[in-house]
Amino acid sequence: MNTAQAGTLESMDCLVTVSQTAPGVGVKIKITGSSAVRFKSAMEKKTAEVIASMGVKDIDVSIQDNGALDIVLGARVEAAVKRMMGGDK
Amino acid sequence: MAKNALGREIPDFIEGYGKTKLFQGAFALKPEEGYRAGGKIRCVDSTCTDKRVRDIKAAITASGLKSGMTVSFHHHLRNGDFVVNMVIDACAEMGIKNLTLFPTALFGVHKKLIEHIKSGVISRIMGSVNGPIGQLVSEGGMDVPVVLRSHGGRPRAVVSGDVHIDVAFIAAPTADQYGNICGTQGKSACGSLGYAFTDAQYADCVVAVTDNIQPYPAAPVSISQLSVDIVVEVPSIGDPAGIVSGTTQVTRDPLRLLIAKYASELIEASPYFKEGISFQTGAGGIPLAVTAFMREAMIKKGIKGSFGLGGITGYFVELLKEGLVERLMDVQSFDLEAVRSIGENPRHIEISADWYANPWNSGAAVNMLDVVILGATEVDTNFNANVNTEADGALLHGIGGHQDTAAGAKLTIIAQPLLRGRIPCVTDSVYSVTTPGEVIDAIVTEYGITINPRRKDLLDACSAVKGFPLVPMEELVSRAHKMSGPTDPVETEDRIIGVVEWRDGTVIDVVHKLKK
Repeated sequence: MNTAQAGTLESMDCLVTVSQTAPGVGVKIKITGSSAVRFKSAMEKKTAEVIASMGVKDIDVSIQDNGALDIVLGARVEAAVKRMMGGDK
Repeated sequence: MAKNALGREIPDFIEGYGKTKLFQGAFALKPEEGYRAGGKIRCVDSTCTDKRVRDIKAAITASGLKSGMTVSFHHHLRNGDFVVNMVIDACAEMGIKNLTLFPTALFGVHKKLIEHIKSGVISRIMGSVNGPIGQLVSEGGMDVPVVLRSHGGRPRAVVSGDVHIDVAFIAAPTADQYGNICGTQGKSACGSLGYAFTDAQYADCVVAVTDNIQPYPAAPVSISQLSVDIVVEVPSIGDPAGIVSGTTQVTRDPLRLLIAKYASELIEASPYFKEGISFQTGAGGIPLAVTAFMREAMIKKGIKGSFGLGGITGYFVELLKEGLVERLMDVQSFDLEAVRSIGENPRHIEISADWYANPWNSGAAVNMLDVVILGATEVDTNFNANVNTEADGALLHGIGGHQDTAAGAKLTIIAQPLLRGRIPCVTDSVYSVTTPGEVIDAIVTEYGITINPRRKDLLDACSAVKGFPLVPMEELVSRAHKMSGPTDPVETEDRIIGVVEWRDGTVIDVVHKLKK
């Protein structure tokens, strides 16, 4: 299974871990951490958008958040997915 | 169910709290005609020359403490305190149950109380809850709601008879055998004993717990033999490392320094920046930096202040030594320098919480205050501030002097970053209100200074300064929204787990149980 990570656990950042899954499994997003209680919907939406824009259909995404804004979250997800696909070693 | 003056829904009756009085406005409620409450009349056998008993259990027995009573504590030993746990452990072993705990504040060191809450030794808390106890309460771990009062609201409640203290336990860094105590001497020295004074005056029985017995009469005296009934010596009342911190440091974070700089500019532009200015800044990173910037400005303009108030740090002690303030009025000494200074310098005065902040006496020190710098977890477009609940809705902080200083000071400033992590500190409506916008004059963030439109005089004074960084509230809140994105609501149940009183005893807001 192909797994990759991007980000840190610094304040206002997040650690994104992505794993390729079997075709047909779909996009699964798990969010934990400091903003999860109040920003889960917004974070899920942003993550799903980035993944869709990259044409990925089957993936497990795990986000450990420490207060990342959407712009940071999006960049971390994009970087993790690119690493998973071998675009950024 | 009725709405108070801020539009918050408050039930007429809250189980475990009683009938509620609705908040009507910061200065609306006056006490009914009547007399102050008081403790029992005492009489000591004239042959008794030593009030000491063998140990804590003997003190509890002698005090007459029984199940269902109210016990009070003060928090000057902060996170180093041994006394609260020591007394409640002993009560548990003696089979005493259903106690109402009435502390001036609790700290992380008191998380041990959770077992006593679960076993029914403590059935009610009137006072701040934080950390694990706050989490437990927020999730419904207590049957009756916690009652939160400010540093001034608490003595008001005692003096006016809302709360009757059966036994007050006072941690005494120094005591003699006849009950004269003080906080500035001894291995567990904590400086001011300000919060304990009202308890000593109004409790039915007062127990001094000490680890430093001195020959009679011990001096100096903070609380005298007149109100102390029992003295008990224990090996240690606290851990010095947790009682006082080292020198408190000014923040080095450039963002916070910028906020402090803006706050200082606001003070300098205000009509209060003149000879005799008085201020309170507490011990937080930003407020301390404001003090540092103000010091420079005072030297530059040749201005001297009259007094510094509240919790005192080494930074304030420096101002006193330099002659930049004439007096310090100290209700709580935060660090070693402050403890040393209050013991040595007669211009550094110990004041009680009643003196500091009670709205219902012949005049509290906060009324004499020009400027206060405060924080808040969130502020809304009506300038209402919340310091009690966190973003997830958990009740994790006490009120402290927030309400009292805001109500008393001529210029009340809330200074803090616009976002903490992703969580905005400025919102459309705060989750729970601690202090009404009626007494808050300005919010200072890294984006500039936002002045309450109510203070047109202040707006005019600031607009007269060229290039003054004013930001309207609408702009600030829309910026916060844009950066943080939409929030999900906090999910709660109907049950009320916390009652937030305004300093006059009316209910300003309630806090609901979190949905698991």
